[in-house]
Amino acid sequence: MASDIFKNLLTTILAGGKGERLYPLTKVRSKPAVPFGGIYRIIDFTLSNCLNSGLRRIKVLSQYMSHSLDRHLKEGWNIFCRELDEYIDSAPPQQQFQETLYKGTADAIFQNIYLLDLIHPKYVLILSGDHIYKMDYAEMVRYHLEKRAELTVATVEVETSLAADKLGVMQVDSSGRIVDFEEKPHKPKPSPTRPDHALVNMGIYVFNSDVLVRNVVADAKQDTTHDFGRDVIPEMIPKHRCYSFNFVDETGGEILYWRDIGTIENYYEANMDLLRPTPRFDLFDPEWPIRAHIGQYPPTKLIRAAPAEGRRAKLGRAKNSIISPGCIIDGAAVSKCVISPGVYIGPDAEVEDSIIMHGTRIGAGCRIRRALIDKNVIIAPGKSVGYETDQDSQHFMISETGIVLIPKDFKLSELYT
Amino acid sequence: MKKLLIVDDEKYLRLLYHTEFEAEGYRVDTAADAMEALAMFEHEHYDLVILDIKMPGMDGIEALGKFLGRDNKIPVVINSAYDSYKDNFMSWAADSYVIKSSDLSELKQKVKEALGESIYEF
Repeated sequence: MASDIFKNLLTTILAGGKGERLYPLTKVRSKPAVPFGGIYRIIDFTLSNCLNSGLRRIKVLSQYMSHSLDRHLKEGWNIFCRELDEYIDSAPPQQQFQETLYKGTADAIFQNIYLLDLIHPKYVLILSGDHIYKMDYAEMVRYHLEKRAELTVATVEVETSLAADKLGVMQVDSSGRIVDFEEKPHKPKPSPTRPDHALVNMGIYVFNSDVLVRNVVADAKQDTTHDFGRDVIPEMIPKHRCYSFNFVDETGGEILYWRDIGTIENYYEANMDLLRPTPRFDLFDPEWPIRAHIGQYPPTKLIRAAPAEGRRAKLGRAKNSIISPGCIIDGAAVSKCVISPGVYIGPDAEVEDSIIMHGTRIGAGCRIRRALIDKNVIIAPGKSVGYETDQDSQHFMISETGIVLIPKDFKLSELYT
Repeated sequence: MKKLLIVDDEKYLRLLYHTEFEAEGYRVDTAADAMEALAMFEHEHYDLVILDIKMPGMDGIEALGKFLGRDNKIPVVINSAYDSYKDNFMSWAADSYVIKSSDLSELKQKVKEALGESIYEF
């Protein structure tokens, strides 16, 4: 039973990354608190996995800009019963050793040794707060016990070209034991089952606590980057029983959906993935609900705009889109968009291939294409975004693939040309 | 000559360790509590710290973290009358954990090991 497996297990979610490559989304919030998929924040996917897997003792190790993350955890995830020793706690740097922030993923654990000692679990599950996937951690912990592993690393097969220079790549023997680990290799070695794929580190680990503590302590005493993938795990492989838990469908062996939201492009594509008629990552899966904290909004309305001079009354319409509650599509056309709660889009506006966050207002007649618009932005009537790069780049950052990034609270008034 | 900082709240033990480790060829400073030791550590370079755990005020476990925060490579040998702190994850950040004894040979050996000195010197 899951409860037996988890009795001696503590879950830690690493939520301290600055998320510089997600700027300006991370200008005002930490990466795990970035809104995603209309009504969610990125950390909701990992927390939902915990909830669905039966995990009830969770420490979220936060640091940068943690205000909105903490508020989200309080408002949206205050669902466990502390009397039963169940909790989701935010743990900022304890600064017991030094008055610095976490220097790396392993340092985040090292700086929380006091916390680990208080709880004294037998096993520690370490998760990232910025991945989109569905995983039953009970299966992984069961695998860890079956293999009598000291460390189990969740791995997923990724096309070799996508893994090169970006991800940690592992080699395993026939029993699944990790025999080699290279961080961001230029030429990744192939996975045993798919020669054009590499077996990559998902940043999800089950450790025996004693092994974890001894290894983060040893790492803390060296001048490393204090990172599990770069420093700790490569050191551990020859000395400990380290196994790979491959993230594939149990029945068909199909590679399961996993996205690390590292860049604006990853973020945009992962949002757009949700819009497919039958997405690989399905929010409508009754077996694996994803929990969100939305707040109170009225239902969304798609309405016919009031006719104005020189303009026929048009129907508000949306296709291939996610529209969250509290929106008004007022005679506007929305296509391939992910729209968060409380958004207003005015008459005759056309919005396509875009992500629009909470409370943003897009005026009548605007044309918006391939834009990522943060919360509470106001775009004056008649403006266009995503059509003229020169014009857009005067006011906004533009991502590598040309996505226009409009930061939170920006007012694009009539004065802007 | 290697320099040791010995932290212990018992005066006569401090005197004993001082004499014994000087005889071993070390320069020795002693401190009566963790706060004093940390203040000394700020101004002086030490090659190793011998640390008692049960002391008035800040205990050795907490002090260990502070020493490592100031110098992540400082070798620390815990020297405690109690073995009950051996399960404390924090104590694992020390290089060794020695149970206090009137026979100082184990403590001396652990100090040598932590300093990377051969224990087979003649």
